[in-house]
Amino acid sequence: MPEPILRLEGIHKSFGDLEVLRGVNLDVAKGEVVCILGPSGSGKSTLLRCVNLLEPPELGEILLEGHDICKGPGSGTGESGWDLDFVRQRVGIVFQQFNLFPHKTVLENVTMAPKKVLGKPKEEIRETATTLLERVGLADKLDQYPERLSGGQQQRVAIARALAMEPRVMLFDEVTSALDPELVKEVLDVMRELASEGMTMLVVTHEIGFAKEVGDQVVFMDGGVIVEQGKPVDVLDNPREERTKKFLGLVLER
Amino acid sequence: MQEFINQFFDVGFMVDHFDEVLKGFWLTIQIWIVAAVLALAWGLVLALVRQSPGRGFRPVRFVTIAYIDVFRAVPLLLLIVIIALGIPSLEFLPKSLRIPQWLGKPDPFWYGTLALTITYGAYMAEVYRAGIEAVPHGQMEAARSLGMSHGKAMRNVIVPQAVRKIPAPMLNELIALMKDTTLVSVIALNEVLQVGSDIQSYTYNSSALTLGALMFIVVILPLARLIDRLIARNQLRVARGSHIEVA
Repeated sequence: MPEPILRLEGIHKSFGDLEVLRGVNLDVAKGEVVCILGPSGSGKSTLLRCVNLLEPPELGEILLEGHDICKGPGSGTGESGWDLDFVRQRVGIVFQQFNLFPHKTVLENVTMAPKKVLGKPKEEIRETATTLLERVGLADKLDQYPERLSGGQQQRVAIARALAMEPRVMLFDEVTSALDPELVKEVLDVMRELASEGMTMLVVTHEIGFAKEVGDQVVFMDGGVIVEQGKPVDVLDNPREERTKKFLGLVLER
Repeated sequence: MQEFINQFFDVGFMVDHFDEVLKGFWLTIQIWIVAAVLALAWGLVLALVRQSPGRGFRPVRFVTIAYIDVFRAVPLLLLIVIIALGIPSLEFLPKSLRIPQWLGKPDPFWYGTLALTITYGAYMAEVYRAGIEAVPHGQMEAARSLGMSHGKAMRNVIVPQAVRKIPAPMLNELIALMKDTTLVSVIALNEVLQVGSDIQSYTYNSSALTLGALMFIVVILPLARLIDRLIARNQLRVARGSHIEVA
């Protein structure tokens, strides 16, 4: 197996007395789509947020492109103990609640970070952003404000905004959970296309169909650990663990 | 009754002294504008320092909170007197700082401005803070995860949204500030109250003071109406359900 683009080793994270992650190990190969399933409170969202250090883990190792992003002992806890710049320039995230900047137009949402962080020439940034927004099907919305868009459109802007920083790994945190049912497909279609172009993706989702179709690997989490992982056909159609069976039964019943 | 009306509402008297009182009121407006600009800026600095992240900033956060608490507690009138008496006696300062005469304004003008800025900076810091805390946490997370530093996220994402949430309470502070400029009369600045009192003391007629009050009303009433409209506009947004995303 080639060296993974992302390796998590023994990730622990607590909020006060609550242990949310209790030793998670995960290898993600370049271009792989990993779908993470699990009941609410299982730690799957926290795991994603650990990867891009929105919630820096207390224990464990994160190797990104072979680079240990922990600054090592003595470098403090919280954000200061980690190589934030290295991570944030390589890992993009899309949130359940979109979190678009409401005071900026669609185009400005996408150009802001490249402008302020990368400091590339304006023309180039604008061109890239326009191309990205065309790719997610929003070429006609460049000058709209987010509140004028549907949830599905907002989420596609959020994907374009994350892609504008040219990430190597994309994290999707239940990105269709806040959407009306008829808007889910347009977002999943964008993600499908992204996967087919070879983007490395970690996708926390309840969309079993999407996981089966697009996922290269499915991870089932419960109680802060990975209970079962493997190829989608194995985990989703023939789960070995009781907890996985029970969860899939509940989800598929809907 | 007639005596009361003659004493406070002598229209002829007001007309005779209108220019004098207006001159005093113009100084009131000037000190208000200078103090408002300075307090708005200083309050934002305080609010931002108060929100600074991480362990390293803990001491300055503490100092800022202490500052805000102290100067919200000290009466403004007391502070004006202390500054006006205290600063001139700081021998180690150059004379231009001890007894400032900048922009052709007398030293009480600048002592008053300093006191108003110190106090209202503390008040306004709390208003800014309310605005900053009203911006959903996801905004900071989105900005940070796109690679922006805390400072860049504050400047480009959080503060622009925060200030859109607070025009009404901030205007309230500005109105209170305007009225509190009359306190500077205590250190003999010839603003509207001082001018009115002077006239009263040599004519034994108080109508100049009433005239000064009327001038405040003329300036402040439109501001009060503006606040009402801002609040109504905000409620409309809440009703439309977009208040979560937009100020």
